[in-house]
Amino acid sequence: MASNVARYKTDVWSDWCPGCGDFGIVAAMQKAFAELDLDPAQTVVVSGIGCSSKTPHFIHANGVHTLHGRAIPFATGIKLANPRLTVVVNGGDGDLLGIGAGHFVAVGRRNVDITVILHNNQVYGLTKGQASPTLRRWEQVKSLPRPNIQDAVNPIALAIASGYTFVARGYALWVDHLKELIKAAIRHKGTALIDVLQPCVTYNNLYTADFYKGRLYKLEEEPGWDPIVHEPSIDEIDEKVARAWEKALEWGQRIPVGVFYVNPHVETYEERIAKLNPLYQEKPIALQEIEENGTPAISREDFIKLFNKYIVEVDRR
Amino acid sequence: MPLRDLLLLIGGPQGSGMETSGQILTSALARRGYGVLSDREYYSNIVGRHSYVHMRISSHTIPRSLTYPVHLAGFVDAESVFTHTFDIASGGWLIYDAGTDPTKITRIPSMEPQVRDRLLGKYREHGIGETVKDVIEYLEKEKGVNIVPLSFKLILNMLRQKYNMTLGQAQRFRSTIIFAAMAALLGLDADSVSYGIERRFRGREKVIEMNKFLASKLIEEIRSDYGTPLALEPSSIDIDKLLIATGNDVVGMGKIVGGLRFQSYYPITPAADESTFLESHESLVVDGEKKGNILVFQTEDEIAAIASAIGAGLTGARSATATSGPGFSLMVEALGWAGMNESPVVITYYQRGGPSTGQPTRGSQSDLLFTMFASHGEFPRIVLASGDPEEAFYDAINAMNYAERYQVPVIHLLDKFLANSTFTVPIPDWGRIRIDRGKTIFKAEGDFKRFDKSEPISPRPVIGSGAITWYTGDEHDEYGHITEDPINRVEMYEKRMKKLEIADKEIPEEERAKLYGSGKDFLLLGWGFVKGAALDALAVLEEKGLKGAYLHLRMFIPYPSRMVREILDSYGAERVIAVEHNIMAQASLATTMNTGFKIGRYILKYTGRPIYVMELVDAVQRIVEGGEDKVVLTYGE
Ligand SMILES: Cc1ncc(C[n+]2csc(CCOP(=O)(O)OP(=O)(O)O)c2C)c(N)n1
Ligand SMILES: [Mg+2]
Repeated sequence: MASNVARYKTDVWSDWCPGCGDFGIVAAMQKAFAELDLDPAQTVVVSGIGCSSKTPHFIHANGVHTLHGRAIPFATGIKLANPRLTVVVNGGDGDLLGIGAGHFVAVGRRNVDITVILHNNQVYGLTKGQASPTLRRWEQVKSLPRPNIQDAVNPIALAIASGYTFVARGYALWVDHLKELIKAAIRHKGTALIDVLQPCVTYNNLYTADFYKGRLYKLEEEPGWDPIVHEPSIDEIDEKVARAWEKALEWGQRIPVGVFYVNPHVETYEERIAKLNPLYQEKPIALQEIEENGTPAISREDFIKLFNKYIVEVDRR
Repeated sequence: MPLRDLLLLIGGPQGSGMETSGQILTSALARRGYGVLSDREYYSNIVGRHSYVHMRISSHTIPRSLTYPVHLAGFVDAESVFTHTFDIASGGWLIYDAGTDPTKITRIPSMEPQVRDRLLGKYREHGIGETVKDVIEYLEKEKGVNIVPLSFKLILNMLRQKYNMTLGQAQRFRSTIIFAAMAALLGLDADSVSYGIERRFRGREKVIEMNKFLASKLIEEIRSDYGTPLALEPSSIDIDKLLIATGNDVVGMGKIVGGLRFQSYYPITPAADESTFLESHESLVVDGEKKGNILVFQTEDEIAAIASAIGAGLTGARSATATSGPGFSLMVEALGWAGMNESPVVITYYQRGGPSTGQPTRGSQSDLLFTMFASHGEFPRIVLASGDPEEAFYDAINAMNYAERYQVPVIHLLDKFLANSTFTVPIPDWGRIRIDRGKTIFKAEGDFKRFDKSEPISPRPVIGSGAITWYTGDEHDEYGHITEDPINRVEMYEKRMKKLEIADKEIPEEERAKLYGSGKDFLLLGWGFVKGAALDALAVLEEKGLKGAYLHLRMFIPYPSRMVREILDSYGAERVIAVEHNIMAQASLATTMNTGFKIGRYILKYTGRPIYVMELVDAVQRIVEGGEDKVVLTYGE
């Protein structure tokens, strides 16, 4: 369906370093969008700041390239105001797990129906290779004058702890595998994380394509691997979380990719709002009519009724 | 002779129901058509510290300012008696708990040492001893204050016996004692008091019954002892419906009428009450007819608050966030993003005392320049400020109109005084309300030049309209893609800034500044909550032979330069006095920057308490007649 993929391409030149893993991620997104047949006008790619966050400009769909670390709250506002939109966030590891870590956690607690694609290259690419929150202690990538002395945060474990209901890891150079993960994440109802291991050819001389070669293995090829919570019982959730957690910690000679955890039974934030206020699901707040020819939809009579509690009828006697 | 205006004070520890007393009195008074304004002064504390309600009641006008001394005070504790010893007028009335008589000022743990020492200094000056009894004697003998001593203990014991309640439960009725005793002296009829009680406790039958029982008993007893010395003349205010609302409520109402659909916030005083108000009005259903709904989104921080509001705005929802200084400090980077991306968003900004956490529950006007210049780079924004509940209501609507019409972030400035005061407000005039969505488009298609350079204000198809648009905080081309081309840079930069010129042409200057009065002796230049005190001070000064005027600034960007310059010139530098709640005279600096007119007379207050009419009158006299350049006001505890 090559021609269909073309529908999601722009003619903006990608100015990433040749060989950058971001190319693979964009290719996987475009293929996934094509296979899901997403309407570009009803799809929004929201990003932060960093090399990876230039992504929206290369994808033919609405693109919102925001502030460093803030893609998630922008995306949340977009999604909550018009839940009919498909919203995908792209951000770097510095962006989403450093400066934006608070938002990364908060969106999981809410289970807003968006997909977060984390470009995990262990460095701050655009600022020339400083240690990112996923670089491990004592590792020294080539731009660092001295080794990194902070511990790494584990994106998979953090997402599970924060309440994400779809947690996966992909590899930027395994485009078709990643494409499938993206499709599943978008189809999933709730907050989805895809942690994408992404070689940075310029600044990361440790986690190279060579490094990953031979170490990565696919969870789905493990006998008996089933990350999905089928019955929303505490027992099953506990078991699936525990197994995902164990896999999340695996790093070294063998590094798992694939789906770690899926719980389709958790209400999304949108559903929670609708439960409290059924009006919410009738028409997206973004599309409601608030006026007619400049006259507010709320008339003076409506006002008096709406705020009756605040109004005193003067009775002079 | 019945009174036309009356000032009163209700004092007690935070959490003891002083606000409830104030609310019940306000409802009872409004029911009979009186205008009421009350300021609530409280510590950043939940329970125990001294708080008070300072109220003005009028039979002939809707009050807009406060002053001292008060004619009537009701205090539940010793700390209030001490704190407000010098706030009561000669010949005024004081209701207090006689059980506190032996309490010494040095034995009040909640009283701040500075307050105590300052009061002790004044007590020494006036030969007052250290107990409540000593203060009461001084007030009675030296000041001719009429004392109404009540035994709270006996009253509450009586209540306990009748309703079989614990001491803790009975303590809640301290507020009843206060409002009932006040209602007695004010000559309020039983029905209006019942109305006030029912309105406050809506549907809680038992509480209503107990309050009514206690109130009517007290009113009867107190009236038989003291009569109705503070009876008000019947109201002559021509109005049949009054809103009783705080500034926070009024802004919320304005937003609802103006079509707000998304409000984000992170809790902060004195802004959060607005969001709570909106949250309790999320479904707009009138007589079963669905008018829409609002989503109030509590975020993880203020960065997320503004970011989500901008995001919602991109999709076409009218969106806003409400905050105060510390929160806005966090929002600043995103403010620039909205400016760069020509995205509508409203920031409702309730100023409190800064810097840092400053005085979280006290008022201030110290963030004007911050809002005018916040965020790096240069971009258009609109900054407007409200001075009373009516302005706040229409401004809340207009802020959203401006945001969409000019595709800019709009900062709507208010302050704690306005936010937390309770007002009686006329029902708004629908003739003054319009919703203007500018070039917002809900149906479009294809790749869209969101930043079409052919006009400063480009059509804005919302995300979801069918068009495909891109946004970026980087400098961009017409499609919203990054470009660093120098010529495009110039064009885009100028395109954005030109929108301000358009706003300056379109928004009438008379709406951006308003001149009150025509006296030529002096001109007060102020903004925000200064308005009420300034207008009332003008009237007092006129009686003293000084005829002045008040120029009320309503919009700082775009600044109404031509009109203001003309007015200032007609007075000359000698006679223009800036009146503000800050130390830098920030609005005067903004004025100088925009008009070139140098202002050199100041009346400033930065204690965190509102400007009172009597101190403003005195300060104007000192400047106009006494030749002083600057007076710093400090009245109020
Ligand atoms: C508030 C703020 N601080 C710092 C920067 C500078 N900055 C730009 S990109 C970046 C880091 C990007 O690293 P990452 O998010 O990992 O993305 P990558 O470039 O590696 O894809 C930083 C710190 C910024 N744009 N904004
Ligand atoms: Mg990175």
